[in-house]
Amino acid sequence: MGGKYDVIGGRARRVDAVDKATGKAIYAEDLRFVGELHGALLQSPLPHARVLNIDTSRALKLPGVKAVITHKDVPATRYGVSPARYDETVFAIDRVRYVGDEVAAVAAVDLETALEAIELIKVDYEPLPHVLTVDEALAPGAPQLHDEYPGNLCAEVHQEFGDLAAGFAQCDLIHEHKFVNKRQDGGFIEPQHSIAVYDHTGQLTLYSSTQVPHYVQRTLSMVTGVPIGKVRVVKPYVGGGFGPKAEANPLDLCASFLAMRTGKPVRMGYTRAQVFLHSRARHQFFHTMKTGFKKDGTIVALAHQCHLEGGAYSSFGIATVYYAGSLLGGPYRMKHMSYDGYRVYTNKPACGAQRGHGCVAARACFEQQLDIVAKQLDLDPIEMRLKNIMENGDVTCNHMSMSSLGMKECIQAVQTGSDWQEKRGKLPPGRGIGMASGFFVSGAGYPIYRSDTFHCTVTIKVQEDGGTVLVKTGAAEIGQGSDTTMAMIAAEAIGIPLEAVRLVSGDTDYGVDLGAYSSRTTLMTGHATKEAGLAVKETVLTALAQELGIERQRLDLKKGLVQISGEPVDFSALRTKYIKEHRGWTDHPDGEQLTFTEAARVAFLKHGTIVGTGKYKPPVLGGLHKGAAVGTSPAYGCSAQVAEVSVDLETGQIKVERITDAHDCGQAINLTSVEAQMEGSVSMGLGETMFEEVKFDKDGRVLNPSLGEYHIPTVLDMPEMKCIVVETGEPNGPFGAKEVGEGAIMPTIPAILNAVHDAIGVAIDELPLTPERVLKALAQAKQG
Amino acid sequence: MLLPRFEYHRPARLDEALAILAQHQGQAAVLAGGTDLLVGMKHKLMKPAHVVGLEALEGFGQIQEQEGMLLLGPMLTASALAGEPGVRARATALALGAGVLGSPQVRNRATVGGNVCNARPAADMCVPLLALGATALLQSAHGAREVPLSEFFLGPGRTVRTPGELLCGVKLPAGGPGVGSGYQKLGLRQALEIALVNVAAFVALEDDGQTVKTARVALGAVAPTPILSPGAEAALTGQVISEELIRQAAQAAAADARPIDDHRGSADFRRQEVLVLTRRALQQAWQAARQD
Repeated sequence: MGGKYDVIGGRARRVDAVDKATGKAIYAEDLRFVGELHGALLQSPLPHARVLNIDTSRALKLPGVKAVITHKDVPATRYGVSPARYDETVFAIDRVRYVGDEVAAVAAVDLETALEAIELIKVDYEPLPHVLTVDEALAPGAPQLHDEYPGNLCAEVHQEFGDLAAGFAQCDLIHEHKFVNKRQDGGFIEPQHSIAVYDHTGQLTLYSSTQVPHYVQRTLSMVTGVPIGKVRVVKPYVGGGFGPKAEANPLDLCASFLAMRTGKPVRMGYTRAQVFLHSRARHQFFHTMKTGFKKDGTIVALAHQCHLEGGAYSSFGIATVYYAGSLLGGPYRMKHMSYDGYRVYTNKPACGAQRGHGCVAARACFEQQLDIVAKQLDLDPIEMRLKNIMENGDVTCNHMSMSSLGMKECIQAVQTGSDWQEKRGKLPPGRGIGMASGFFVSGAGYPIYRSDTFHCTVTIKVQEDGGTVLVKTGAAEIGQGSDTTMAMIAAEAIGIPLEAVRLVSGDTDYGVDLGAYSSRTTLMTGHATKEAGLAVKETVLTALAQELGIERQRLDLKKGLVQISGEPVDFSALRTKYIKEHRGWTDHPDGEQLTFTEAARVAFLKHGTIVGTGKYKPPVLGGLHKGAAVGTSPAYGCSAQVAEVSVDLETGQIKVERITDAHDCGQAINLTSVEAQMEGSVSMGLGETMFEEVKFDKDGRVLNPSLGEYHIPTVLDMPEMKCIVVETGEPNGPFGAKEVGEGAIMPTIPAILNAVHDAIGVAIDELPLTPERVLKALAQAKQG
Repeated sequence: MLLPRFEYHRPARLDEALAILAQHQGQAAVLAGGTDLLVGMKHKLMKPAHVVGLEALEGFGQIQEQEGMLLLGPMLTASALAGEPGVRARATALALGAGVLGSPQVRNRATVGGNVCNARPAADMCVPLLALGATALLQSAHGAREVPLSEFFLGPGRTVRTPGELLCGVKLPAGGPGVGSGYQKLGLRQALEIALVNVAAFVALEDDGQTVKTARVALGAVAPTPILSPGAEAALTGQVISEELIRQAAQAAAADARPIDDHRGSADFRRQEVLVLTRRALQQAWQAARQD
């Protein structure tokens, strides 16, 4: 690919790198507004209770308190993520459903006063029986969370593709496997923080640590009643999101209501413990997979069941329960697949989307099963996967089209890159090597609400003096590097150096952008950016062609210089004109080629401000079955990983020594960012495999709501990494690019699990792999 | 999270500090590194009206060696102890424990005095100090006393230190030829871990280089306080050291452990780990004792 492009495919320094490294980057909490108030939330201490009475009188009397609001002061409008399941209100109206449910909010002159006021609010609760697990929630006669969703069933999915019975009838071996992960926390470094400003013209501006300014804007308008044209959401720098920040949160709403009530800017932030209460992170999944194989390792049919422990509200859960099934359609050819999924309400914080949305536990279960079966069939697990692997142009049994899929290339790359042949089966006791594959969408094919909206619009304005362009996008830079990526795409599309591109983003005033989720930004916003860039280039070069009196087709831009094909053209008059406009300046263009700066100035003098716009919405995708919208995407990124582990057979402690990781991202825009996403994915997957679990006591309180007791990996826990970037050139992607942010996490858990299986001879079907769990598995294996 | 309001005292002399503690008995908290106190105050677990900072007290951050004893100032940080060659050689288990406490940032703040007075059952410095036979040096406005660490801890966060007393140092026998110690910690991740189980072992050999003169095994996270294993001590003392003897001592230590089930691990698991970690800590100690 080298040489094909001037800007993309290289290793640009991220535009935010220096600010972040020096502490100058502005996050929501860093913003200051004159006269701002501090808000605080009163949250339920009980997992399930009727709210009999709320007495705010003492709080209101506390000097410095400016407002106290409860459900009586805000509309009862229901909101949520999916319009099919709006099941939240700003405050509990008659019932609280988990420890942390919002009951009231306060605005005061400082945080100390606001927190004191919270303690002065008296709530009379009548405790109700509660359910904390899937089994408890589904038991006959169980306490019910939502009257509208009987049986505590938030959502259920039943799908069959192909002919399952006929499929199983052809099989030589049918294996059933169960697997369970644990409820996770997002573990992002920046707790959510929101500041609302309501001005005299009735405009509501919200500064929020969010992945999705667009959806927050819609929710704010819907719940507050402020017309959407007067709601602006601005996203400053965000310290990670990983999914839980992909929806409007109670701080966004409460700060807005408090600002509207007081007329003052109001800030609200979560403590780390409150981050755990808000949650919206990875569900716990209980998978059962019955899979049929032929003797030669061909995968034929899969009957899959899954229960999700969802918490008290839906959040992203409807999508999650679909995702948990749909992405097993690949990356292996399989003709018959059924899925029965159930998302269950419990009296715990709501789970939602987290990196690899809905799919990582399913992927872990399936890939672990493949290894077990490969052993039974005496096949090399890599060879067995390659036998079944999909390639470019394949369509899954559930109608997902693999327009590009370098899965085979990824598997072969890690096979070679890890010295698999030399190691597999030849390592000493306690050492193991394992591999797994996986893939993920490159942007959800449909918005969360039903709409024909463009998924993103981008405007590029050429600065009137010429020379630089300003990219305006609503896309959300949340640390993943989208600002740099879009700047690079704009530069490439126009034909100018990266330094000539300025970029502003993360503001609903800049256009529509659905935000940073489902690994959509590079492909989707990338398309819109490219289109806007090409429009700018067209306008500038057309104006220049007219000025020079030649055909437009003879002109092109490359690295900021105008390329003229055919006979030489005398542009001295044009250059003289430009120089006359800049008397006294010392940086006059004097090269043998016209510059973009000169061309852009010519275009401005002719037409006024030059603006190029771009937009993107995926083509019609996927099948017509119920739930087809979840999992369909214009493109799919894929990954393979080989993990090498050592297990201390006495203490049960595992060390992941090395991971060889290959990912097909279509075309790397910024190679460094692609590798960073691969490493970040491994870090998050490793945490889920080895350490992470949000734990609760019997009363539904989180036992470990801190990063001291909830263990995300430190840099010392990271394995040695070898990243191999595979580029297949995605026909549906801008410059051939597709995702890397989530596909890259898919193989991590099962690769480690399979390596541990190889090391100790036991497949552990429950996460995390704590020393205690490993010792237990070893003991059970010894007993036979 | 905000700190509750309190009055801050920064005495420059010991008598001044002791007078403040005497004056505000029960109302004053002592601030050393603050890695536990400030977190606890932010979580509203403690609301002291007065906080007495030790940072200005002279000599509180020093290491002295006299008459075969190491005298550690209470304000010595974990990172100082972990890096100090004298401590690494003469109180190896303590240097090892201090070196794996928290993270580099925490180690730069956390002090030995704070770790001892905070009395957590899995404290990375308490368990080694117990094995090393350390003594707490307490002073109040009314006088001084020395309490062996084996009698110092009463329960999680509770010690024999009275509100008017200040821990002014920790004293322990300095290791030398024929003496060695070791430390083993089991956590989930490589840093920022409270031990699931931790064990420190101390061995002093007779001049013959093989008979155990003195031995102590201290266990963490298996009782309300760090504890010594009398069984391990009895198994080792006076015997010729060997792998087999170490195995027996480890079994005795496991029998002495009194772990409970909690969300971090089951009692059975912890006892099993005591067996493994004790063996490894004793091997480490024996190895070190042989090297001198």
